[in-house]
Amino acid sequence: MEQIINPYILYGLCVLGAIGVCLALPRRGINAQIIGALVAAGAGGLTLLALGLGHPDALPNAFFYVFSLVALGGALRVITHPRPVYAALYFVLTVIATAGLFLILSAEFMAFALVIVYAGAILITYLFVIMLATQAPQEGEIEVLTEYDTAAREPVAATITGFLLLAVLTTMVFRGFGQLPVPAAEEPDALLAQMPRKVERALLSDGSMKPGDRLHPDARGNAIINWENRTVEVDGSKTAVALPRSLRVTNPDRVGFNLLRDHPGTIEIAGVILLMAMLGAVVLSRKQVQIDEEAKVHQARSLAAPLAKAAMDNRTSEGGGLS
Amino acid sequence: MNTMMTLAQTGFPVPMAAPTLAHYIAISAIMFVIGLVGFLTRRNLIIMFLCTELMFQAAGIALVAFGRYHLSFSGQTFVIFVLTVAAAEASMALALIVLLFRRKESLSTEDWRELKG
Repeated sequence: MEQIINPYILYGLCVLGAIGVCLALPRRGINAQIIGALVAAGAGGLTLLALGLGHPDALPNAFFYVFSLVALGGALRVITHPRPVYAALYFVLTVIATAGLFLILSAEFMAFALVIVYAGAILITYLFVIMLATQAPQEGEIEVLTEYDTAAREPVAATITGFLLLAVLTTMVFRGFGQLPVPAAEEPDALLAQMPRKVERALLSDGSMKPGDRLHPDARGNAIINWENRTVEVDGSKTAVALPRSLRVTNPDRVGFNLLRDHPGTIEIAGVILLMAMLGAVVLSRKQVQIDEEAKVHQARSLAAPLAKAAMDNRTSEGGGLS
Repeated sequence: MNTMMTLAQTGFPVPMAAPTLAHYIAISAIMFVIGLVGFLTRRNLIIMFLCTELMFQAAGIALVAFGRYHLSFSGQTFVIFVLTVAAAEASMALALIVLLFRRKESLSTEDWRELKG
């Protein structure tokens, strides 16, 4: 099979990306973060360009470029930003851009779930822990970043490992251009028959069914829909009622059917995993850690020192006013 | 108007010009590798776990893209389970990190060298 990108160009791009990421990682001394970020961004952009140039008819729309560049740029900043809070916020940016990519893939439900669960819940937990686990700078003191945040560990070796993996993965994957297929001509709204309540609500709000009327159910409780002229049988009226044109099966409907009908056991397992995680987190964080007395005294002093100093300042200024 | 109607009715509305599967796999692979490099290089425990979330994210893109390619919704269903595992992992890992931080007042991985086998 022919490769989409010439392998030599692909490996060149991987090397360029590796150099960029390696330069962008935080380090002591000379800091080339901006140059590194630019080189890495250039490599990513050239990769997308090479993907497009090979097959101009398969050039994706502009939204894809925007969302993927934002996502990858955010991801790069997550691993290069020396301040943990900013890294977490850049991760939120990556999540939102990924939600955009999901929208292009017409996975609307997943896009919303990603924003709500990831950006809304998981990342906020991360932010809370980051804020709990970093010391605030004392008054008048310049904030110093901790040593373990400002220097990366073995940046060269890690980048080589990572991009070697990327080169191998992409060589294997880029054999042939998988066009995303246009769905088959099967009746797409056939699931509507299994959702009589949804059909009823749509007909009621449409005005084509009187309140109190019911759909005529078949033996399994499904609605009886005639697909040739899009009509449904209603108990009250003699003639079949036409379905409104806006009524169709949405992406959340389909995901819900897939989840509950095809994978019912996995939901139970997911529930057990979440329960275990909750119990584990509660048990772990309830555990009291004994801080030794010396540390307690030290901490109390460091807290009390600014107060005492302020009180002293107050007294001297008052005294100055009196004399 | 008419074509828009039929395209939307197919259940998988076709975007203006569909990017190919290779584009999504490329994005997914690059994001995964960025997460991997971050996991290997950063020395802050919290950032390391953030990098694992980045790798989950990349896996999610690949799953949804392959699901779209095969016109199956199982890919999206799987991302729901990836989200579940990510949430469980985050809660456990962060509880552990808070515990570790209370002992050593530091988030550095080097402080826990004695844990290595």
